[in-house]
Amino acid sequence: MTGAGIWRWLAPLLLGVLVLALWEWAVRALDVPVFVLPAPSAVARALVADYPLLLGSLWLTLKITLQAFVLALITGVGLAVLFAQSRTLSAALYPYAVILQVTPVVAIAPLVIIWVGYERVDLALLILAWIVAFFPILSNATLGLTAVDPNLRDLFRLNGAGRWQTLWRLQMPSALPYILAGAKVSGGLALIGAVVAEFVAGSGTASGLAWRIVESGNRLNIPRLFAALLLLSLLGILIFAALSWLQRRLLARWHESEIGRGA
Amino acid sequence: MQDAPAAPVAAAPDEFMPARPAAAIRGARLRFGGTPLFDGLDLDLPAGTVTCLLGPSGVGKTTLLRLLAGLAEPEPPTLVERTGPVAWMAQQDLLMSWLGVLDNVLLGARLRGEPRTPALVERARGLLARVGLAGREGDRPAALSGGMRQRVALARTLMEDRPIVLMDEPFSGLDAITRLRLQDLAVELLAGRTVLLVTHDPLEALRLGDRVLVLTGSPARLSAPLEPPGAKPRAPDDPALLGLQGRLLRALAEAAA
Repeated sequence: MTGAGIWRWLAPLLLGVLVLALWEWAVRALDVPVFVLPAPSAVARALVADYPLLLGSLWLTLKITLQAFVLALITGVGLAVLFAQSRTLSAALYPYAVILQVTPVVAIAPLVIIWVGYERVDLALLILAWIVAFFPILSNATLGLTAVDPNLRDLFRLNGAGRWQTLWRLQMPSALPYILAGAKVSGGLALIGAVVAEFVAGSGTASGLAWRIVESGNRLNIPRLFAALLLLSLLGILIFAALSWLQRRLLARWHESEIGRGA
Repeated sequence: MQDAPAAPVAAAPDEFMPARPAAAIRGARLRFGGTPLFDGLDLDLPAGTVTCLLGPSGVGKTTLLRLLAGLAEPEPPTLVERTGPVAWMAQQDLLMSWLGVLDNVLLGARLRGEPRTPALVERARGLLARVGLAGREGDRPAALSGGMRQRVALARTLMEDRPIVLMDEPFSGLDAITRLRLQDLAVELLAGRTVLLVTHDPLEALRLGDRVLVLTGSPARLSAPLEPPGAKPRAPDDPALLGLQGRLLRALAEAAA
């Protein structure tokens, strides 16, 4: 690794350590009450002490996020394939997809929870997270499937390729970079959707990380609130990193966006 | 100006030419937004020869080629005749960027559902070797230069082994030296086939063509066929060729004015 490469990792790390040290020192020096701003050491202690509780919550939020993301991927790409096959269908359905997207999920959440029922609140959370996550995949996949070079379509036609072959051998590979870009946005949105839904459900029946944050806030257990927040951020980073890795893996060697990045 | 439909067949002196052209368009008519692009235009591709089509941008060269390929719907009373299937090579290499070089050459076979037999793969490798790309079979198009990519496209076109080959400015995006080399290669590899080569470059047409036609005007008309002397590929510094090039350039410039 070159000197510049090391700095790319080391610089943000050092900055982080510096900020944490400053934070720790400031809290001690100014004697800030723990329910206003806990020191990093207090957050770390809460993280260790409440480990089983937080890990359970983390697992629940992760599960809902991943399920919503996979569901969004399947329905988004599936619907985009239908849209790419028929203009009429696309014209008929697209406005409703947009309505679903632009209506704030917080506003729909109570209704969805009532319909699904509190006894199946996980399903309600899944539906809400899916609503938030699926649109970027749908719109990107639709764009990718339809934005195929017309000359390539002609080449396929001259070779006698049918609709199915054109879809699998031409449109899908062409759309892959678009779908992956949409997936990267959706991964983050699925987490946001899951968290927002938990906030709205907010009764303790769904005890994910968002619920831990609400609960800890109500109990003025601010160190635990920070610990939950930290885990939530880590989860978001993890999802983003995994999808970036996947994008690089699948597009390396052939797509303009990944060529020349030393992958 | 060539108005009589039978003229090129009767006038062409090529001794190998059979009576029937390998492909032809008769009475082509096409309107584009009200203005007629063609009206009663005839184009013949004598079998086994290279016909080069020159003309200013937008005159309808590519449209004629697409009609012959069956990619454009002929407007009545246009008649398109073909004695065999066509292969098509475009200005862009049209390679699948996610496939390797060999898989790109084998694309047609794959789309037709032909089994990937060792013989088939051997033929593809042989063609790649002939275009000077032996050893690059596994590379993605992104790893190749523009000239190499166009050579892959040429290999793919030849892999189809069609009697009629339609080429739409296949070398126009390349630098002068690469273009000369690819022209020589094309003459060698396309020998015996019926070729229509659409080009902007009079010298290219004169080096490669058995017959050179100029498409000009609105509605567009074809010139009488010009038959450059000598064996293909002709030397780019042949004085006779350069004289003809000047004449063609003048004709094109006058048409554009």
